[in-house]
Amino acid sequence: MEAYLVAIAIVALIYVLLALGLTLQYGFTGLINFGHVGFFAIGAYTSAILAMNGLPLVLSFAAGTIVAGLAAWPIGLIALRLRDDYFAIVTLGFSETVRLVITSEKWLTNGVQGIPAIPRMFAGISVGSLASFAVLAVLLVVTIVAILGMGRIVKSPFGRIIEAIRDNEDAVKALGKDPARFKVQVLILGSGLAGLAGAFYAHYITYIVPDQFIPLVTFYVWMAIIIGGVGRVSGAVVGTVLLMVLLEGSRFIRDVMPFISDVEMASVRLGVIGLLLILFTIYRPQGLMGDFTRR
Amino acid sequence: MINRRTLLTAVAGTGALMAAPSILRAQGAGAGPIRIGALNPVTGSGSPYGSGMQKMILAAAEAVNAAGGAAGRPIEIIAEDTQTNPQAGVLAAKKLIEANKVQAILGTWSSGVSLAVIPLCNDAGIPLFHCSGAPALSTPPANAKGLGFRFQATNDRFGRAFAEICVKEGFKRPATMAFNNASGIGNTEGFRKAWEAKGGKVVESVVYEPNQSTYRSELMKVLAAQPDVIVTGSYLADTTILLREWFQSGQPVRWIIPGWAANPDLIKALGPEVTEDIISVDSVSNEGSPAYAQYDAAYQKAMNQPGSANVYAAMTWDMVNVLALAIEAAGSADMAAVVPKLREVGNPPGTVVSSFAEGKAALKNGKINYDGASSVLDFDQYGDVTPDFGAYFIKGGKLERRYIVKI
Repeated sequence: MEAYLVAIAIVALIYVLLALGLTLQYGFTGLINFGHVGFFAIGAYTSAILAMNGLPLVLSFAAGTIVAGLAAWPIGLIALRLRDDYFAIVTLGFSETVRLVITSEKWLTNGVQGIPAIPRMFAGISVGSLASFAVLAVLLVVTIVAILGMGRIVKSPFGRIIEAIRDNEDAVKALGKDPARFKVQVLILGSGLAGLAGAFYAHYITYIVPDQFIPLVTFYVWMAIIIGGVGRVSGAVVGTVLLMVLLEGSRFIRDVMPFISDVEMASVRLGVIGLLLILFTIYRPQGLMGDFTRR
Repeated sequence: MINRRTLLTAVAGTGALMAAPSILRAQGAGAGPIRIGALNPVTGSGSPYGSGMQKMILAAAEAVNAAGGAAGRPIEIIAEDTQTNPQAGVLAAKKLIEANKVQAILGTWSSGVSLAVIPLCNDAGIPLFHCSGAPALSTPPANAKGLGFRFQATNDRFGRAFAEICVKEGFKRPATMAFNNASGIGNTEGFRKAWEAKGGKVVESVVYEPNQSTYRSELMKVLAAQPDVIVTGSYLADTTILLREWFQSGQPVRWIIPGWAANPDLIKALGPEVTEDIISVDSVSNEGSPAYAQYDAAYQKAMNQPGSANVYAAMTWDMVNVLALAIEAAGSADMAAVVPKLREVGNPPGTVVSSFAEGKAALKNGKINYDGASSVLDFDQYGDVTPDFGAYFIKGGKLERRYIVKI
């Protein structure tokens, strides 16, 4: 049983990393990024391909993070010209483009066949559960570092400027700051986090294929931060954990209530999430951990 | 107004409630019934087949239990949904292995899910029975411990069947069109290999992207090469669009299409005129066999449809029977002993049996050979089966089986 809980915790933490990146981009800077999964995919494939070619995992993880961050650079330049909805469309297009490139460039990514048998973290530890505990520990440390780092960023002058960009970009310009530069930096930081999450994902699931990097992943992350509360670091964490409990916990409802068939359960699960999203937007638009100091 | 603390408490409480009963249940693992996981694509792109597959696992287990269980113990099925998604599949498999302590996982469908789940089965030392086509599942690293057993033909074998039919029908200039995923490309690449081995040449091959509203440009590219037949690795939705646009173009050409795309739904969507003379190729369920008759009856009862509507359900039906027979033959549910017995009870020589009850009785007198509902079910050294293929011609809106192709 504990190995299953560890598995859920690992996947939840990977999503927490994704949610943190998106919180920085949307919650604090107001960039509507609908292409988060694209950076996740870039991180996963970069790290997987490098590791398959014998690079030590520490380096491949770093490479995955950096490449995903750099991939946000051109998007950032476009973001200078576009706001809100238009930027959302461009990012959604970007993530689909990434998926199609991965699908088409067979020589590099093995196309639709996917990359099987990606080396695991702590492969040296042969005992199965101990290795996953080690993975969990590393992820936990990385996540805590990311949370603390984000806390610092948000409280710094940099953090105040990006929040100002979110609230009133023209005012920031009038104060003599260059919003464009900050936006690009935020995009790179958030996408780097997504890339890191991708590297963890690839080496944990050990098999990646373009079908795993569909926009649904982006929208799961969006659901998590909407439930948790946008613009709060704690919101990203709480929202993601709650979403995982809902998605995974519903498996166990059937062990207690066997009269619900699997087909019904799958629909019930989606229905509950949808209902929850609606209830949140009606009764608690700030999310669970929302910022009540404003408005 | 609900405050934050009340909400959080409520959420934590719900989570604990959800988790608690299964922790209690897990204590009893090891004794009592043999636990088997049914891991099927109930939702997602496999949903047309998944719930039928799962119901047939349950039905077959019921039949096994009615015959007194395997090795003296009843079988308990714990069912899960893969959502046809590798990540959800991995978590579901972890739950089955860790929380429910299952002894085998049956019925994963898409290759992506099977490839993601099989490392977990290797770690746990339990077999995975799947219906996926990807060739990578036969060999290491995926099947390093020989625990993967495939009840479906590989995509490669489908391709070989297509090539046999091309020869038989006297086609000279085949072209291929593939849906861009492992299965679609597997079919057309398998065809290309087999066709070129026969000295033929593929005049044009196109790979197209899923979920488009039109495939006209891809189709024009293929038709420009003047093929006499187009071989596809496609699914129902895209095949419908392809054929409609081809019919509008008016250029005469024949089609060879896998059976999961060229089925009665396709004829219903396009009408008999468009689909006339299309050749539909599918692995043939072992239709004449007594096992198929039993499966068909069970499927009718559970799904209110004929058993031929879901070839994968016939495979999952066989999965339970073969596994139960192997457990019976091994005399225990210890998978290290059961897995080597799978080939013994499935492959010749031996008394041919078609159900668990029959096999259980025959095992007392020596070796048996289970002939299943989906195929005669003889595993090769990779754990793959080689079913026969049927060439069906669509005539006047009906699928007519003309001949059987053996490869």
